[in-house]
Amino acid sequence: MTTLVPTAIYTSPTEPIEVKLIPGVGPHSTDGKTTQISEIVLKAGGEDRDKPSAAKDTPLGNLRAQLTTLQDKLNEFLTQKMLNKRKLEDDDIERRILDDGVDEDSD
Amino acid sequence: MAPIDLDKYVRPGKDHFLALGLEGSANKLGVGVIKHPLGELTPENRALILSNVRDTYITPPGEGFLPRDTARHHRNWVVRIIKRALADAGVAGADLDCICFTQGPGMGAPLQSVVIAARTLAQLWELPLVGVNHCVGHIEMGREITGAENPIVLYVSGGNTQVIAYSNQRYRIFGETLDIAIGNCLDRFARTLKIPNEPAPGYNIEQMAKRGKHLVQLPYTVKGMDLSMSGILGYIDGVAKEMFGPQQKKLVDKETGEEITPEDLCFSLQETLFSMLVEITERAMAHVESNQVLIVGGVGSNERLQEMMALMVKDRKNGSVYSTDERFCIDNGIMIAHAGLLAYRSGQTNALEDTVCTQRFRTDEVFVEWRD
Repeated sequence: MTTLVPTAIYTSPTEPIEVKLIPGVGPHSTDGKTTQISEIVLKAGGEDRDKPSAAKDTPLGNLRAQLTTLQDKLNEFLTQKMLNKRKLEDDDIERRILDDGVDEDSD
Repeated sequence: MAPIDLDKYVRPGKDHFLALGLEGSANKLGVGVIKHPLGELTPENRALILSNVRDTYITPPGEGFLPRDTARHHRNWVVRIIKRALADAGVAGADLDCICFTQGPGMGAPLQSVVIAARTLAQLWELPLVGVNHCVGHIEMGREITGAENPIVLYVSGGNTQVIAYSNQRYRIFGETLDIAIGNCLDRFARTLKIPNEPAPGYNIEQMAKRGKHLVQLPYTVKGMDLSMSGILGYIDGVAKEMFGPQQKKLVDKETGEEITPEDLCFSLQETLFSMLVEITERAMAHVESNQVLIVGGVGSNERLQEMMALMVKDRKNGSVYSTDERFCIDNGIMIAHAGLLAYRSGQTNALEDTVCTQRFRTDEVFVEWRD
């Protein structure tokens, strides 16, 4: 059976090293970690009627499952990057307040 | 002026056009297949609806639909709904002339889910893409179903409230909401009263309003040709919270002394909002000397609104009101297929790089090349 493997590459003008993401070793499924229904809906008494259909054991079905894993990795990678950026900005504000006496709300 | 040739792009050997339409600008995912015979569409030469399938993302009572979960619903259902629509229509991808999709206006994340499906199918089947303005989809489908020729259009839904008239190949906006849409106003009040979202919050308000007997005085906010509804919502929300919150304040009707009920509040809200709509529609009719009104959009399926509009129109010479049932009023894929196919037949298609969806896409931005 043909194996189709999806990949994702992250590049940025400000970062010299590109990042390549692959699904890696399975098991893979279409029920992704980062693509679940929101907690807020479940807490309000909602039920998840919109789960993705399971992947078939075909080249395209396997691709769907691997793609879901890749989407999870991509979402986690980008979320981490945003958290790091926010932390750097927060650190920078703290440094500026402490070192330069800049008022947080001045800009 | 020479008549518009809508048959320039027909495939050799074919006597018709076929289009697939994908709609997902809010909580409804709709897919439809439409067939146009050659020549101008007339009462004798009508478009044929081959399929019109819809699935709605429903949230628990008291909750609205969040963009992320709505997009997830569309993403996880779109393939199944497309398969069902094609099977109902008895057509295959190779039979189609184009893939039409809602390009805006609407909620960004759900629009994005659906356009990805449209792009994928277009590349898979090597078909052109046609981006459709959601409001123009409602108008064109309303005209086709009702046979209204050149009406004033009242477009009322969860995201839009506009009074529109056609002039010089544009649907021109004569009046509109200055803040929230009428459907949004009704839905949000439904959330305050914890009315179920199934089958639709507006439908449930309509049923409760039928049992209302007492009119509670609410602000009436028509501003020229425009209207404002957020203040009315704030006011009636306040009244409801006083009545059903910790205060448990009792409100009575001044004339009868009877207690005001949630049904009375639904009745009062509908009567006030619909009176405002009727007023600006009548003024637009007088302005363009039209005697036809076409009501489109989800709120257009409200029978009380249709009745109030009919009362106003009855007083005008040869006046008539046109409206459609919930299959075409409420968001659907067939209207996108229909408007998209009209655009395709006029030579309008979108290159892949021009298929980006937009949350803001005004009705009058569309060049209506298929009308003279």
